[in-house]
Amino acid sequence: MPDPLHVDLLRVDLLQAKNLCAGYGEMEILKTVDFSIREGSITAVIGSNGAGKTTLMRALSGLIATRSGAITFDGGVVSGLPAHERLEKGVALVPEGRLVFPDFTVHETLKVGAFSPRAHEGWKQRIEDMYALFPRLLQRKQSRAGSLSGGEQQMLALARGLMSRPKLLLLDEPSLGLAPMMADEVFRQLRTIRDSGITICLVEQNVQAALDIADYGYVMEDGHVKMHGPAAELLTMGSIRESYLGL
Amino acid sequence: MKTRIFSLAGIAVLLALCIAAPQMLDAYSLGVALQLLSWIALTQSWVTFSGLTGYVSLGHAVFYGLGAYVMALLWQSAPLWEILLGSGFAGALLALVIGYPALRVSGPYFVILTLGLSEFFKYIVIAVEAGLESSGRLIFGAPDPETLYYIMLLLAVVATLLTWGLARSRWGAGLRAIREDETAAETLGVPVTFLKIAAFVISAFIPGVVGAVWVLRTTYFEPMQLFSPTTSFTIVTMAIIGGSDRAPGPIFGAAFIVLLSELLWARAPHVYLVILGVLLVSFVLFVPKGISGQLAWLMRRRRA
Repeated sequence: MPDPLHVDLLRVDLLQAKNLCAGYGEMEILKTVDFSIREGSITAVIGSNGAGKTTLMRALSGLIATRSGAITFDGGVVSGLPAHERLEKGVALVPEGRLVFPDFTVHETLKVGAFSPRAHEGWKQRIEDMYALFPRLLQRKQSRAGSLSGGEQQMLALARGLMSRPKLLLLDEPSLGLAPMMADEVFRQLRTIRDSGITICLVEQNVQAALDIADYGYVMEDGHVKMHGPAAELLTMGSIRESYLGL
Repeated sequence: MKTRIFSLAGIAVLLALCIAAPQMLDAYSLGVALQLLSWIALTQSWVTFSGLTGYVSLGHAVFYGLGAYVMALLWQSAPLWEILLGSGFAGALLALVIGYPALRVSGPYFVILTLGLSEFFKYIVIAVEAGLESSGRLIFGAPDPETLYYIMLLLAVVATLLTWGLARSRWGAGLRAIREDETAAETLGVPVTFLKIAAFVISAFIPGVVGAVWVLRTTYFEPMQLFSPTTSFTIVTMAIIGGSDRAPGPIFGAAFIVLLSELLWARAPHVYLVILGVLLVSFVLFVPKGISGQLAWLMRRRRA
């Protein structure tokens, strides 16, 4: 177990958000959020419904505009860029509710996952890599995405996101609506993905499972970051055990 | 591979027949063939945008009408091919102007908006024409039907190749992804706004040219008729019946409706529209992928 301070010195922030504000229409959801993701880590964002977790993911990926504040990624400011240009720099979002393309087959979905120019190089090999990572998808290669089970759809959404060759994978509620065994499988795969060199940031309702696999955690409340720290520390804090784990 | 050779041979025979048609057909049949080709070109153009993106345009008549209007205004003041291109660009330009605001809404809102804008534009043209004290424009010295036939054949072929090429390309995959789920498409790096507008603009070019050719055929420009929403409705009907996701769809759909109307208009004018309505409902309910989708499914099953 390396000393956390030592880790801090060695690793750099892949993404940083400073005084980030964002929202929809008249509604301001994120109110000056400061947030960072360390390269090579799994960062978990937890918080109750309406805390702004999904909005944070959408703002980081560029699906909604930044109102004020700045997001830097990999050394450059990205807050003014539209989603497809952020993807080109390596920020990929797997949206909440999976949002698979119902009429596409599994194979077509993976192909279109490599839509961005960044993803062109080696896309055929990457599809094979995805089938190796998610063998269930190989079995259902020619099935319509709409006919897959919830767990299979989540794996497909993950694989589709990975097809873009991201440096940072943002996941919005990857275990939502999954049976516990399926959720466990997804969380295991997230570790494998992290170990392959892709930084992960996930939003989760399943606080225990998220903090178990995460290196670092943020707790959001009412559009603010309420606290943050190494995941293992957050798990032992009384207030978190009480509010989010019901212990 | 074998089916591929068969379909290529089929396409070659069909194309040869189309090229030889003016020598083989009487004037009436040539008129029907011209009509068929124009509907193929129109429906094919519609499919390149609405079929792939799922944004159902009920306003394509406006591009057709505008093309006809440009031709009626400029006829004999410039070479034919220049006016034809101008009509196409007029359609494309209008699509750019309409598309930028209209493509911010989707689903039923987009359908109603396109229909409304198309009608709105029709009444603008009517008002302008009334202001000019013109209640219709006659066109003198129009090219003979054979020339028009070949121009229309070219348009139908180009429109078909466009749908075929686009549907197989990376951009086509992006447009389909927009149809399936726009937010998810955005997360994959599909530049959704740009792509929707580009497809809408491309899809408006050929209808502009078709309208220009058609007004040379009728030799009379009358806004009520050339901007009639019936054109938009017919395009959508043909796309639904033929199948709107692949290039053969509009060909089957246009052939089916044109032949049906030829058979029934003269013999049973009262039941024609009833039959058409019943067919449309049946296709939506039982053959949602249209004739071409059904045929592709049958062929896959036979091979399996």
